[in-house]
Amino acid sequence: MRSCIERLRRSLLPAAALMLLCGPAAWAENPSPPTTSTQAAPAPKLDAPVAVNEASPPAAEEMAQGDPGGSKTGTVNDIAVSDSKKGLTLGDALNQIGQNKVAINFVWTLVAGFLVMFMQAGFATVETGLCRAKNANHTMMMNFMVYGFGLFAYWVCGFALQMGGVGGVANLGGTAPLSSEFSLHAAGKGWGLFGTHGFFLTQGGTYDVAVMVLFLFQMVFMDTASTIVTGAAAERWKFAAFAISSVFLAAITYPLFANWAWGGGWLSQLGANFGLGHGYCDFAGSGVVHAVGGLTALAVAMTIGPRLGKYNRNGSSNAIPGHDLVLVLAGCFILAFGWFGFNPGSTLGASGNGNLRIGSIAVNTMLAGCTGSFGALLYMWIRYGKPDASMSGNGLLAGLVAITAPSGFVNTVGAAIIGLIAGVLVCLSVEFFDRVAKVDDPVGAISVHGINGLWGVVSAGLFADGTSNYGGSWNGVSGSVRGLFYGDPGQLIAQLIGVVTLLGFVFTLSFVFNLFVDFVVGQRVSAESELEGLDIPEMGALGYPEFALKAYREKLPLSGVGKAAQA
Amino acid sequence: MRALGLLMAVFGWLIPVAALTWTDSSAVRLTLCLVGMAMCLAGILGFLNGAYLKQAIWKR
Repeated sequence: MRSCIERLRRSLLPAAALMLLCGPAAWAENPSPPTTSTQAAPAPKLDAPVAVNEASPPAAEEMAQGDPGGSKTGTVNDIAVSDSKKGLTLGDALNQIGQNKVAINFVWTLVAGFLVMFMQAGFATVETGLCRAKNANHTMMMNFMVYGFGLFAYWVCGFALQMGGVGGVANLGGTAPLSSEFSLHAAGKGWGLFGTHGFFLTQGGTYDVAVMVLFLFQMVFMDTASTIVTGAAAERWKFAAFAISSVFLAAITYPLFANWAWGGGWLSQLGANFGLGHGYCDFAGSGVVHAVGGLTALAVAMTIGPRLGKYNRNGSSNAIPGHDLVLVLAGCFILAFGWFGFNPGSTLGASGNGNLRIGSIAVNTMLAGCTGSFGALLYMWIRYGKPDASMSGNGLLAGLVAITAPSGFVNTVGAAIIGLIAGVLVCLSVEFFDRVAKVDDPVGAISVHGINGLWGVVSAGLFADGTSNYGGSWNGVSGSVRGLFYGDPGQLIAQLIGVVTLLGFVFTLSFVFNLFVDFVVGQRVSAESELEGLDIPEMGALGYPEFALKAYREKLPLSGVGKAAQA
Repeated sequence: MRALGLLMAVFGWLIPVAALTWTDSSAVRLTLCLVGMAMCLAGILGFLNGAYLKQAIWKR
C-alpha cells in the first residue's frame, strides 16, 4: 500500500510541477490547449500584456464600500507597471515578486536592528543598577554616549573597513558596491584584511538602499561591543578616556575582526583556503561582538586597576553591591528581548535562502538564555546557599552570549546544553577574576561577554548539526556547517583559530591602544573623585539628588526635586 | 614583564595561523591551536596581569 502511494506521488509530482510552471503562461496569454507531460511549454513572453481581468480584481465601486474583511485589498491592481501604455506584463509581475522578497528582507533586517538598538537601554540599566548610586549619572552617560561616539566613528570608517569588501549579500538584493577588499597574498592564498568601500556611506558608490540597511544592522552590533567595556571600567573611568577609547574600538578594533569573520576576510576563508570546515563560523557574533567587547573590557580593566576598597592589603576582595537590583533584572529582560533581533535577525532576511530557520534560531536563543539562568542559579544556590539575583541575571546573559555564534547551526538540545554550561561558566569566571586574577569588574562583563563569547565560538565547532542550509553554502563552502560531534573536526579547528585570534590580536590591539590613552589623557579619575562618586566631579550633576541629600547632608549642590526635599 | 606578556599573546596567535601553511594534519593543527591558546592566556593573565598586580593600588 505504502509503495503504491509512493509510486503515485512520484508520477504526480512532475506533472504538478509542470502545471505550476505553465500556469503563468496560460494566465498571461490567450487560453491554449493544455500541455501534456511530454510536450514542452512555450516560453512566456515577459513583455506581453497580461489579461488583468482574469485575476478578477474588485471594481472601483466595490472598493469604495470599504474592505472590513481584508480580502479585497492587495490585488493585481497594486502591481507596479513599467509601461502604462502597455499595461501589466508578466515581467512586471515577476519584478514585483523579486522586490517583495527583498522588501520582506529589508523590513526584517531593519526591525531586528531596531530591537538590537534597544538593547542599549538594557545595558544601561544593568550596568547602572550594578554600580553604586553615587556613580549613576556617570555610568548611565557612558552607556548613553557610547551610542553616538560609536555610530559616528563607524559611519566615518568602521563600516567601510568591516564590510567594504563583503561582496553581494543576496538577501538584501546584492549590495554590489561593497566590492573592494584589501588582501595580502602569502603561501599561495589571499588573506583578506579590510574593506575599502563605504567611507562616509558615499565613497565607492555606497549611497545605496541595501548598503544602508546593512549599515544600520551592523552598526547596532558594533555598538553592543562598545557598550560592554563601560561596565568593566565603571566607577573609575575618566569620561574623556572613555570617549577616545570607544571611538577607537568602533573605528578600528571591532571592524578589523568583524571583517575577518563576516566581511569576507581571512578567517571566513579558512574553509575555502585550508579545508577547515566552513571557515570561522560566528552566526550572530559571540566572538565578533561579545568576545571583542569582553576582551577589550579586560584590557581596560587591567590598565585602570581595581576600585578603591575592592581589595584589602592581604589581597582578599570585598563585595561592593550595586544600588538597584530591580534595575538590573529589568535590564536583563530588555536584553533578552533585544536578543531576538540579534540572533534571528542575523539571517539578514526572512525570505529565501533557507531563512525560514529564523524560528529555530529564536527558540535556540530563548532556550539557551533559560538554561543559562538555571545554571547560574543552581551554582550559586548550591555553593552559597541562596539563589543570587544578580548572578541569575548574568547567567541569562551568559547563555544568550554563548548561543549567539551557534544559534543558526544547532538544534534545541545543543542550545540547552550550551546555555547551561555558560551559566555555570560565568559564575566560575567571575570568581576567578575576582579572587585569583584580581581584575575588578563591577558588572561581570569580562566573564559574561568575554569568556562566554569565547565559549560560544568553540561550541559552534562542537554542536553544529549539519541541518542548516542558507542558500546551499556558507563562507563559500557548499553544504551545511557540522561541528566535531557531527563529524567535522576541521570546523572545531577553524573556531579555535578564531579564539586564538581574539586573544592574541584583539586583546593586544585593545591593550596597546588603551595604554596609549592612559599615557595621553590618563584613564583613571583621582582618588578624591572616586570616593566622592563620579557624578559631580566628572558629569556635574547627580543621578539621584535625594539620595545624595541623605548621604551627604547639605554639603552638595542641589537642584529641582532635591532642593524641594531640602526645604 | 608587560612586554613579555604581550609578546606571548601575539606569538600564541601567530603560531596556529602560521601552522596553516606548514601542515594539513588536523591533529597537528588542533594541538598548535591549544598551545597557542595556552600561550595567549599565560601571557595575558600570567605575565601582563602579574605585572599590574605587583604595583596594585591596594598594595600601596
